[in-house]
Amino acid sequence: MNIREKILVIEDEKSIAQFIAAVLDGQGYETIQARSGQEGLSMITSHCPDLVILDLGLPDMDGLDILRQLRSWSSLPVVVVSARSHERDKVTALDQGADDYLTKPFGTGELLARVRTAIRHTRTASGNDEIAQQGTYSVGELVIDYNKHQVLVRGENVKLTLGEFRIVALLGKHAGKVLTYDYIIKELWGPRAGSGNQILRVNMANIRRKIERNPAEPEYLFTEVGVGYRLAEGEWTLPRP
Amino acid sequence: MTFRKPWASPLFPFSWQDLALTVTLFSCAMVLCFFLQDAGVIEGFAPPVFVLTVLLVSRLTTGYLFGFIAAVLGTVCVNFVFTYPYWAFNLSLSGYPLTFFMLLMVSLITCTLTAQAKRQAKLLAENEREKMRANLLRSVSHDIRTPLTSIVGSTSAVLENPGLSPPEQRELLQNAREEAQWLIRVVENLLSITRMGDAQARISKEPEPAEEVLGAAAQKFRRRFPQVNVTVSAPEELLMVPMDPILIEQVLANLLENAAVHGGAANIALSLEAEESQARFVIRDDGQGIPKRELDGLFDGRPKPHRAPDGDGKRNMGLGLSVCRAIVLAHGGTIRARNRSPGAELSFSLPITCKEASL
Repeated sequence: MNIREKILVIEDEKSIAQFIAAVLDGQGYETIQARSGQEGLSMITSHCPDLVILDLGLPDMDGLDILRQLRSWSSLPVVVVSARSHERDKVTALDQGADDYLTKPFGTGELLARVRTAIRHTRTASGNDEIAQQGTYSVGELVIDYNKHQVLVRGENVKLTLGEFRIVALLGKHAGKVLTYDYIIKELWGPRAGSGNQILRVNMANIRRKIERNPAEPEYLFTEVGVGYRLAEGEWTLPRP
Repeated sequence: MTFRKPWASPLFPFSWQDLALTVTLFSCAMVLCFFLQDAGVIEGFAPPVFVLTVLLVSRLTTGYLFGFIAAVLGTVCVNFVFTYPYWAFNLSLSGYPLTFFMLLMVSLITCTLTAQAKRQAKLLAENEREKMRANLLRSVSHDIRTPLTSIVGSTSAVLENPGLSPPEQRELLQNAREEAQWLIRVVENLLSITRMGDAQARISKEPEPAEEVLGAAAQKFRRRFPQVNVTVSAPEELLMVPMDPILIEQVLANLLENAAVHGGAANIALSLEAEESQARFVIRDDGQGIPKRELDGLFDGRPKPHRAPDGDGKRNMGLGLSVCRAIVLAHGGTIRARNRSPGAELSFSLPITCKEASL
């Protein structure tokens, strides 16, 4: 019998916690539940879960505080679930170390996809198995070659500039995760880079024109409006005929 | 105009813009008078020139400060420069206090009228918002009842009738889920309204690559309506359009959903077109089009009278469309709807300020 991944659900609304647990149980995960922030924190230390699903609006403390405390000593993946829908809240949670953010109401399919992605990223330190072992990341017909600094689409080198390659490479390392504009800018241009994201946006438009069949209908490089960018992972499907 | 808030008006507000305007207008008047003086016809012409200048300054600046300054300056100019004796004050000149008084009155009256006009424009805008809100509330309460009834009814039916066959249960639960999803969309529209804030707040616009918003909206729509075929097209050149991307995404979502739900469209073409100073978003579908009598006032958000085929017009499209209109108007854009054969075409245009080349 293989060991099942353990998921801690920190959520005060019983009905929501129950349905999340039911969905995850159905997919073969083991779930435990906490109804408050304090209980959640102590369960993280005592049960060592593989993933935490965290509600931001808890009765005793702000979910963001839990995230901050947790991030001071652990890189345990956290998927935030919240009724706060403003993109500012999303950006804050992601920049504070959340691995993903789901706005209530969300579908079960969405929840499972995020959970799978977040768990996959913890398996290796570099965040991505394939990159660690072969120096490449591939999804669909796209291959990022980290050794040769190349991106291949359908076997052909798409000739990105160095700056463009670094953006794609960064997204590839965190494939499936939304990276905020600020995070990408800080990673690539340093913490003193201006707060404007125009250069990044224009760069992304150029990259899409080289990689995507139709830049307005991306298959690989998705936009999370108002938040950031995400590179396709796993769920990639061939475009409809 | 962008930095001024006429409604936050102190009586004597200062702005560099207004100062520049005042200086420019007075320079023009002075130059004109010097020419007249050279031509030897200055007597009698200087006062009206400055009356006009004072009037223009009072009309074009905010508050009373510059109007007052203009009146004083105008009097000085008329007296000191352009009436005999030239380049000297002649306070004994019989008309002098009268000139000053008249110029001051011109400035005062114009300033008051200007402030009034601004206040009225603001009231109009507020009224417009109020009207939208009222329509919204009406249409929300109308829109929420039916799905709630269905959800409560379906789930109770399942819970209270253990004898139901699994397919029957499944159907009831599916109905409940569909209705709940409809409610989600109603709530998303309400969120958009709160996001646009109260009467005084302006939406925050940033130049945003329009194609990204288009792509994201299409992607979300496909997840909701996998049976509808959507094609997306955008110009090769990157269009950066100042907007609140979340709100514009909501507009696109509403229009797409309308095409699918009300138009019964099987194919939808979503396109972005660059026009002279505008970006035009177009949604064309091959559905049954918009009924003629609904085409007028389609966007004003009034719940539509019962439509014969649906019985009690259960899926009102008023809310979504009035939200679209409000959002587009708040961006300084326009929204239009017309029928094609077959199907409908809904489009909205947003003003562009900066364009950037792509490659």
